Amino acid sequence: MCAAAVDFGLGLRPEHYEEIAASPGRVSWFEALSENYMVPGGSPLHWLDRIRRDYPIALHGVSLSIGSIDPLDERYLDDLKALADRVEPMWISDHLCFTGLRGLNVHDLLPLPYTEEALDHVAERVKRVQDRLGRRLVLENVSSYVTYAASELSEWEFIAELGRRADCDILLDINNVYVSASNHEFDAQAFLRAMPRERVRQFHLAGHTHKGSHIIDTHDHPIVPDVWTLYAEAVRLFPGVPTMIERDADIPPYEELLAELDVARGIAASVAREVAA
Amino acid sequence: MSGTNTGSLGDLQRAFQDYLFRSSDAFQAAVRDTKKADRVTLLDVYRDGYALRLIEVLTNDYPGLMAMAGPADFDHVARAYIAAHPSRHPSVRWFGRDLADFMARTAPYDKAPAAVEMVRFEWTLGETFDAADVAPIAADVLLALPPDAWETLTFTALPSLHRRTFAFEVAQAWQRRDEVEPGNLEVGRADEPVTWAIWRPERISSFRSLDTDEAAMLEALVAGRSFPELCETVAAFTGDDQAPARAAWLLRTWVEGGMIAGFSSRAAAG
Repeated sequence: MCAAAVDFGLGLRPEHYEEIAASPGRVSWFEALSENYMVPGGSPLHWLDRIRRDYPIALHGVSLSIGSIDPLDERYLDDLKALADRVEPMWISDHLCFTGLRGLNVHDLLPLPYTEEALDHVAERVKRVQDRLGRRLVLENVSSYVTYAASELSEWEFIAELGRRADCDILLDINNVYVSASNHEFDAQAFLRAMPRERVRQFHLAGHTHKGSHIIDTHDHPIVPDVWTLYAEAVRLFPGVPTMIERDADIPPYEELLAELDVARGIAASVAREVAA
Repeated sequence: MSGTNTGSLGDLQRAFQDYLFRSSDAFQAAVRDTKKADRVTLLDVYRDGYALRLIEVLTNDYPGLMAMAGPADFDHVARAYIAAHPSRHPSVRWFGRDLADFMARTAPYDKAPAAVEMVRFEWTLGETFDAADVAPIAADVLLALPPDAWETLTFTALPSLHRRTFAFEVAQAWQRRDEVEPGNLEVGRADEPVTWAIWRPERISSFRSLDTDEAAMLEALVAGRSFPELCETVAAFTGDDQAPARAAWLLRTWVEGGMIAGFSSRAAAG
């Protein structure tokens, strides 16, 4: 187990398993995609166990479907709990969204309407999941492309109130804030300022694709300058929160991601100096 | 409790999912245009993304089918499958599980039996990849058994071991999948159907064809038959005189190949 501070991490991806195992210590932690390791055995679990020996790991899921009107998937929760018992993660996160109903999974992070009804519904389910896992859940703001006519609250009001009602933590995805702010024309800085400081557990950084009239969260490009600027503001507001970079497509060499992580380190250090001065 | 199937949250979620499945456009009324984009453009991010994401999953699962069919035909079968088999599992790992059965019973794909077999082969390879980890036994453990133990000796195969019988040379063709332009992978018909073993001794999957008597004996082993019964199975092919030596040789081959997970005997603990 690594005794160093948990500060800058990367997503654990099969393309980099061997390099990670061969050169420990170049990042301080990894985020593993929970569903990829909810399998009976084989190479994925071998590498997860191997890398866990050298690094703290956070588990990050995409299928909890915390906002769905379907009943919670008990089998999924059993599998997640078993994986958590194996990995002993620093925390377990998933997304504030729904991923399907009627027993189906669309494998996308569909946004919720920001209504009192949805707030009640999600808060109740978060509490049940937390009881089941025996730990606080960390929920991530998603990128969204549509605005519900029914929404009564802003996304940041919804998230802050959910944290309070359900006593859960927040995974603040800086790129998602940027993407949604651009798509829905809200103030990204206002979003950040509305986050309850004590609940922000982790930052995500990622790249996206600009389509002219809207931005899509694709995780297949380097992080853009505007997102780095927003990240600097996030670090100013929430100092010491662990940061990681997500890359899920067109995965570059490990060295390239390490260099991008160095940019995050540089920004955080610069903000820290600024604040100290 | 909250979370009943009525109310606006439920209505919105049902309408959203129906929109993704192209069964209704009613969801368009629930969302707003922005200054930069109309709602249909924005909703298409989800509708198109839904299909593209699952096509990508199938592309990763079935490179041999892609090599046989090419991108256009692959896209055709993938979209038909996505429409007929929405995902029922939290992990996309399992989404493509029913593709072979779907193709085998759905026109026009049912007219391409080699492609169906390729899909079955590739899915089986995937099943071995992350099957439960069990260390194979070593041959010297069996050699140390007293002679009377063999009278009741039975075996268990590795959890990753699968047997599949193919009329086409899909396993041979699969190994050439990256050597041809997508759409140009030819798969010949075998002289006669051949049973293949597909398994993962450690972390790398293996596959090989089985001789006819070997396939029969392996089937008997998996069914829990004792070693004398395995010899009888082989005797149907070799005659009684040759059977014990052939059965012992095959068993040794499987043990050394890492297919056997354990054994038990009433005369000796396994």
